[in-house]
Formats: sequence, C-alpha cells, structure tokens
Amino acid sequence: MIGRNGKNPQAEGRIPLPQASREDGLGPDPAIVVAEGICKSYPSIRALSPLSFNILPGEKVALVGPSGSGKTTLLYLLAGILQPDEGVLSIDGRPMTSVRPGRELSQLVGLVHQQYDLVPHLSVLHNVLAGRLGQWGLLRSVISLVWPRDRQMAEEALAQMGIGDKVNERTSHLSGGELQRVAIARLMMQSSRIILADEPVSSLDPARAEGLLGLLTDLVRGSDGNDGKTLIASMHSPYLIRKYFSRVIGLREGVLQFDMPSSEMTDEVSDRLYDLEQPEPALWGVGN
Amino acid sequence: MRVLESRRLLTLILFAAFAWSLSGVDWLGPMVHTGGPQSLLRFIQALFPPELSPAFLKLTLAASFQTLAYSVAAITVAVLVAVPMGLLASGVAARSARTGLPAAVAARFLLGAIRSVHELVWAVLFVYALGLSSATAILALALPYAGILGRIYADLLNDVPEEPLRALRASGASPFQVFLFGRLPMAFPDMLSYSFYRFECAIRSAAILGFVGIPGLGYQIQLSLHDILFDQVWTLLVALVFLVVAVDLWSTRVRRDLVS
Ligand SMILES: Nc1ncnc2c1ncn2[C@@H]1O[C@H](COP(=O)(O)OP(=O)(O)OP(=O)(O)O)[C@@H](O)[C@H]1O
Ligand SMILES: [Mg+2]
Repeated sequence: MIGRNGKNPQAEGRIPLPQASREDGLGPDPAIVVAEGICKSYPSIRALSPLSFNILPGEKVALVGPSGSGKTTLLYLLAGILQPDEGVLSIDGRPMTSVRPGRELSQLVGLVHQQYDLVPHLSVLHNVLAGRLGQWGLLRSVISLVWPRDRQMAEEALAQMGIGDKVNERTSHLSGGELQRVAIARLMMQSSRIILADEPVSSLDPARAEGLLGLLTDLVRGSDGNDGKTLIASMHSPYLIRKYFSRVIGLREGVLQFDMPSSEMTDEVSDRLYDLEQPEPALWGVGN
Repeated sequence: MRVLESRRLLTLILFAAFAWSLSGVDWLGPMVHTGGPQSLLRFIQALFPPELSPAFLKLTLAASFQTLAYSVAAITVAVLVAVPMGLLASGVAARSARTGLPAAVAARFLLGAIRSVHELVWAVLFVYALGLSSATAILALALPYAGILGRIYADLLNDVPEEPLRALRASGASPFQVFLFGRLPMAFPDMLSYSFYRFECAIRSAAILGFVGIPGLGYQIQLSLHDILFDQVWTLLVALVFLVVAVDLWSTRVRRDLVS
C-alpha cells in the first residue's frame, strides 16, 4: 500500500498537530481517510487508476497534477458526490457506502468547489446559512428563507473571512475572491471534520491566495475549544504547498506519482509532474 | 453518439413535415377578397378620430375593467394551480425517484391535457355548463394557462445549473431544502417574468372571450364591428393596447427591482 501510516516529521517540527499527542503507546493514530484501491472511470476515460492512501486527522494534504489528472474526481469521491467503481473508501473508520448522505455525510466532509457553486440569486447570508441545512428541519428551512435562523453564526463566519460587510449583498454582485470566502464561510457553518477544497486559490492574486490559505489552515488547526480538522486541497503552486501544507500527493493521468512531505515539493519536482513533453507517466520514489 | 444521431433524424423529420405543410396552402388563389381594399381604407379612416363621446368612453372604461378583472382573476388561479403542479411535474422536490417519477408523469400529462384545449373551446364548454357567468370566463382562461405555466415552471425548475445544487446536497440538504435554497431562487426570476408575459396574454385572451358572449372589451368590439362602427372599434382597440402596455411596463419594473 502506498501511503503513510506514521508520523509527519516535517510537521512535527513546526506546528503541533493533533495526532502528535497520540504517540503515547496507544498504537498508531487511526486514519480519518483510508483509500484502498479506489478507481473511477468515465465512459470515455479512466480518471483514476487504483489508488491507495491513508490520511491522518490534522493533516493538510495538497493534491497536485496537471489538468485532467483526476484531482477533482478524487475530491468528489472523498466528498461522496461520486462513488468509486472499485475499492473501498473509508472515512472515520466507516466505509463511505454506509454513511448516509445528508446530515451524516455533511458532518464528516465538506467541499469548496472549484467554481464555488453558490446560488447567485440568493443573498450572501442565505448562501452561508445553506451550510446549516443538514442540521435544519423542513420548517426551520422554510422560515429561514424569510427570517434567517443562526444569523449571528453566519455573520461571525463572514467577519472571520473579512467580508462581514457583505452579509446582505446579492451573491451575484461579489468578486471571485469574495465568492471564495463566502464558500468557505458556508463550509465553516457546516463544521465538517474534513475540509475538501478544489483549487481554492485558482482565481486569486498571490497576496489574496496566501490570505485565503491562511484562513483555511487556521480553520483546520481549530481554535481552543474545537479539535482540529483535516484539509485536502488541490493546488498548483509548489511554494504555497510548501508553506501551507504538510503533505503532497501527485497525480498524473489518474496515476499516483508521489506521496511525500510537502517540504520535498521542489519546483523541479513540480516541473517534472507538469511536463507536457513527458512521454509516459514516470514514477517517482514514493514518499518516506 | 446514438442519441445525437437520432436527434438529427428527428430534426430532419420535423423540417420535412414543415415543408410538406407549406404545400397545403393555396398560394395562387386570391388571399384577399374583392371588396377588401375599400373596407380596409374605411377602417383606417375611422381612426381619425375614433369615437370619443363621454358615454362611449365610459362604456370602454367599464369594458376594460371587466376584461382586466377576468384576466387578473384567471392568472391568479392559474398561478395557484401551476405552482404545485409544476413542482410535481418537475419531480425535483420528491424524496425519491420511485415516488417522484409517477407523480411527475401524471402531472405532466394533466398539464398537457388542460393546455391542449384552447381557451375559446373551454369557454364554449363552460358556457354550456355554467352559463355566461364570471366563473365561465375565469375558468376558461385559468385552465389552459395553468397548463402552460405549470409546464414552463417545471422546465425552468429542471434547467437550473446543477453545480450549486450539488454543493447544497453536499452540505446535507434534503431534496426539498435543495429546492428551497437552490432551484427556487435560481428559477424564480424567469418564472416571474414568464408569468407576467402570460398575464399580458391573458388580457388578450379575456378580450377574445367576448366572441362567445362574455362581457368585456372583446364583446364590445364584436358589437361595434357588427354595426360597422369602425370608430368605436378603434377606441376599444386602443384601450386594449393600453392595458397590455401598462402590464408590460409594470412587469419591467418588477423585474428590474428583482435583479438589483
Ligand atoms: N463527468 C465527466 N464525464 C466524463 N469525463 C469526465 C467527467 N469529469 C471528468 N472527466 C474526465 O476525467 C479526467 C479527470 O478529470 P478531473 O476533473 O478529475 O481532472 P482535474 O485534475 O480536476 O483537472 P483540472 O486541473 O483541469 O481541474 C479528465 O480527463 C476529464 O476530462
Ligand atoms: Mg479539477
């Protein structure tokens, strides 16, 4: 099995990750994501070849790979939007197939999509509140369209994202970067244990990209009361991966190329992964 | 691939049917009857000026109000019927496909059935059943309009972009919540403007019901035509145009308020 089942030497030295405290003889930390030979084909193409890996709670994993390499597909599998053709995907010790869609799934995984996928016709407030739908009953949802519940919670999430003044704005009026923040605020409302983000910084200028990754990683680290979450995001910039992530998984044409600490994600590795000339997928040495 | 091919074939068949239908028109025979040009001239001359006597203006106003009242009532009933029917027909709020699909098929069939009969035909039927009452006018309009609106609502609800809905589902929303926070807000502006457009149509249709004896602008037009009083016909026509334009202006305003 390709993957890491132990500690993360790079991260241990810098940020105390939640699992660090479990190195106390209680055995290996239970992985929050276990993928065993998952693969996915579309009618015309094999998007993911059998793929196996473990992800521990608190890890910040970057998925890299050129366009069409299967990053979005993998994130969709993890989000339960798609089901693997073969193999088993377990989240928090349970096979994905046994997790009921709806409330249960939404508390485990949340996804910020590549195109944010907000409802443009609704106010920012309502889009953020939509993150609570899994917790709300029918009546509360109907009432909330007119008299929003949990309004304060949504306002706090937006304020934390630095766009507290946009609460009542129509979502279609926002800029790309603001939309991304709203999508993350919605994810905060959902308060899932795993945060999936598909190219969260693709439409941001470099400064904003760092700002947003800072917010995301803060969210993952968790504040005093909350325990940490796990982040899995598709990314392109080696610099940002080294700075904000603890681990990097490389894909090319649906095949795993490497899985290693993010510190090893040099520009050269990246160039080789994205190289258009490369005749066939080369296999890097697997991380660790 | 196969779907694409059969779609092309269908397009071809439809075009052939259209071409064939053109051959059914008698292109060489006289398309205007012999006294036509003179009648047309007299009709146009009657516009300068139209009938403007206070008594007739009062009659026009009353008839306009009558027509407007019927169309408002009819479109209201039609919307009230079309919203739940369209929702059923779209199948989007169903808990599962197993219950949703039969309901959608049934709703679509019913909507299709009531809109395939023209309002004039409905009117004739209701005149037999209910006499020349307001109920006849309102039902005759409301039924086919509910059929049209319901169908359009269903299509608009079905055709919203899928991605935001998927995101809502991912945050744990049930099908009805997805409808409430996703489909409805996205489809609503189009549903509203189509309803307004249908309201305009309802005014014209309400006027047409005059031809089966329902009071209103159409009935007055018919009476004046019968007596060859073209100047009166003009007054009534102008009133009809006035109503339609007023609704159009109103709907433009509502839509503008909605987007900003
Ligand atoms: N719904 C679909 N139907 C058919 N093929 C698909 C579908 N979605 C993705 N694919 C194909 O699967 C492959 C992987 O797609 P995927 O979206 O996972 O790539 P990606 O790594 O996210 O690319 P990008 O960086 O451009 O977003 C691509 O070749 C794509 O064309
Ligand atoms: Mg993608």
